[in-house]
Amino acid sequence: MAESAISTEDLRKTYGRGSRGLAGLDLQVKTGEVYGYLGPNGAGKSTTIRILLDLIRPTSGHVSVLGLDPRADGVALRRRLGYLAGDFVVDGRQTSRQLLTYLGNLRGGVAAARITALAERLDLDLDRPVKSLSKGNRQKAGLVQAFMHEPELLILDEPTSGLDPFLQQEFVHLVREAKRRGATVFMSSHVMSEVQQTADRVGIIRDGRLVTVESVESLREHAVRSVTITFGGIVDPEAFVQLPGFTDVTVTGATLRGRLSGHTDELIKAASRYPVLDLLCEEPDLEDIFFHYYAGENGRVAA
Amino acid sequence: MLLRNVFAKSLWDARRSLPGWTLAIVGLALMYSAFWPSVNSPAMADALAAYPAGVLDALNAGDLTTPAGYLGGSVYGLLVPLLVAVFMIAAGARSIAGDEDAGTIDLVLAHPVSRPRLALQRLGGALTAMAVVTAVLSGALVPLRGAFELGDVPVSGFLAMNLQLALFGAVFGTLAFAIGAATGSRGVALGASAAVAVLGYLANSVFPQLTALEWTRSVSVFHWYLGGEPLTNGVQWGGVTAMLATTAVLAVAGTALFARRDLKS
Repeated sequence: MAESAISTEDLRKTYGRGSRGLAGLDLQVKTGEVYGYLGPNGAGKSTTIRILLDLIRPTSGHVSVLGLDPRADGVALRRRLGYLAGDFVVDGRQTSRQLLTYLGNLRGGVAAARITALAERLDLDLDRPVKSLSKGNRQKAGLVQAFMHEPELLILDEPTSGLDPFLQQEFVHLVREAKRRGATVFMSSHVMSEVQQTADRVGIIRDGRLVTVESVESLREHAVRSVTITFGGIVDPEAFVQLPGFTDVTVTGATLRGRLSGHTDELIKAASRYPVLDLLCEEPDLEDIFFHYYAGENGRVAA
Repeated sequence: MLLRNVFAKSLWDARRSLPGWTLAIVGLALMYSAFWPSVNSPAMADALAAYPAGVLDALNAGDLTTPAGYLGGSVYGLLVPLLVAVFMIAAGARSIAGDEDAGTIDLVLAHPVSRPRLALQRLGGALTAMAVVTAVLSGALVPLRGAFELGDVPVSGFLAMNLQLALFGAVFGTLAFAIGAATGSRGVALGASAAVAVLGYLANSVFPQLTALEWTRSVSVFHWYLGGEPLTNGVQWGGVTAMLATTAVLAVAGTALFARRDLKS
């Protein structure tokens, strides 16, 4: 088995109209890891995925998936993949069962029991026409087709955008199960929350280039979160202004607001000297993480 | 099982449209054939004689006073090929470009299906639909030809005409398939194929009325299809060969161009 599930070297894609594609992408996804591929809309995430699936061809550079060339060995490669797009569109004049049977047959057949079991788990009615399903239910059919043949590599393009919490949770379970049986998961998103529960590592792409690759843990540490603490009485702002990583501190009455990066420890200890009524620490916002990487830390820009 | 592969699925997807088109084309052909006994009268012959020959030629209605002339003019000369061309151009344009426009082709191609396999199996589905239409048409007209007083036309003439009709449809279906597969645009495939059909019709029936433009007939699909009066004279191998070769070239070219280009997102 190849050391890297996905490997690209100086991958470039230029579109005719001069619009952005990829500008020298060096990507390494290790076998067996869950890799979150993050970036704003238009950064090149879908371009990357479409090249991996051989739906489009790179202008230059090298790409290898499961040790194979997507262009030359596309059929053999795609036999071992599962793919799901965020906007799972199929012809609506078929039931999910017909769709999934057909897609399974393109892979040489997938046991009907496996389809039924996954559908039951996701609470998908297999016998309704796809066009009568809500977006969430259509996406369930998409999840089933991506996971039903237990592929070695899952390529998921914004897989849970617009899904309800129940389905997001089931999705997390499916990804973890896939990882447990040794599969590699490559998952793109423009929101951190979509990948942070499952990803081992996160690569951030911007303008067709990988800006950084980090573990989710260290990304969290760098992430800037906005913190609001409501105290039982008036507090002294001076005690908080000096805390490392805590910036933009404002105090209005008994409420303290600020932006925190790094560990929470010092802030909590400082706050504990006062009676705390409420503490709100928002999930790290991806835009804040982007900001962190673009605000002058040039040394960190690496593949 | 009709969900077994791309070819079978394309027939399964046509399970509603194909019976509809078959009914429309066969129904129209039967209706016009049924008019023959009432058209075949001295009064009608006199009325037709009053039309200028150019007008009759333009309508592919050379000789409406014999059964073969009437069938070859009104039924197989104009209305049926018109419907067949529309049917097959739509089917060919849908097979790749329609799927791509709808954004549904990505999912199938993310499966272990090569582009040539997808393209050729989809085209095969469209051509099979054409074969079904002409088979049903032959199966309806041949037994009924006595009742419609068309018994003078031999069975071999009907079969030859329908074979050439099937190939005529195959050329337009494959043309729309190839343009759609090369460009990814259903609109371009429909428009360009319709333009070729109109030009082909004019090149067979109207342009040759000018001596300088007589040559255009030889490159017209309508001439390949109708020329030599297959209803009377049986299979016209020149036309059949031209239509088969055109279909094959378009199928290969469309598939090759589809395999090498980027899909639209």
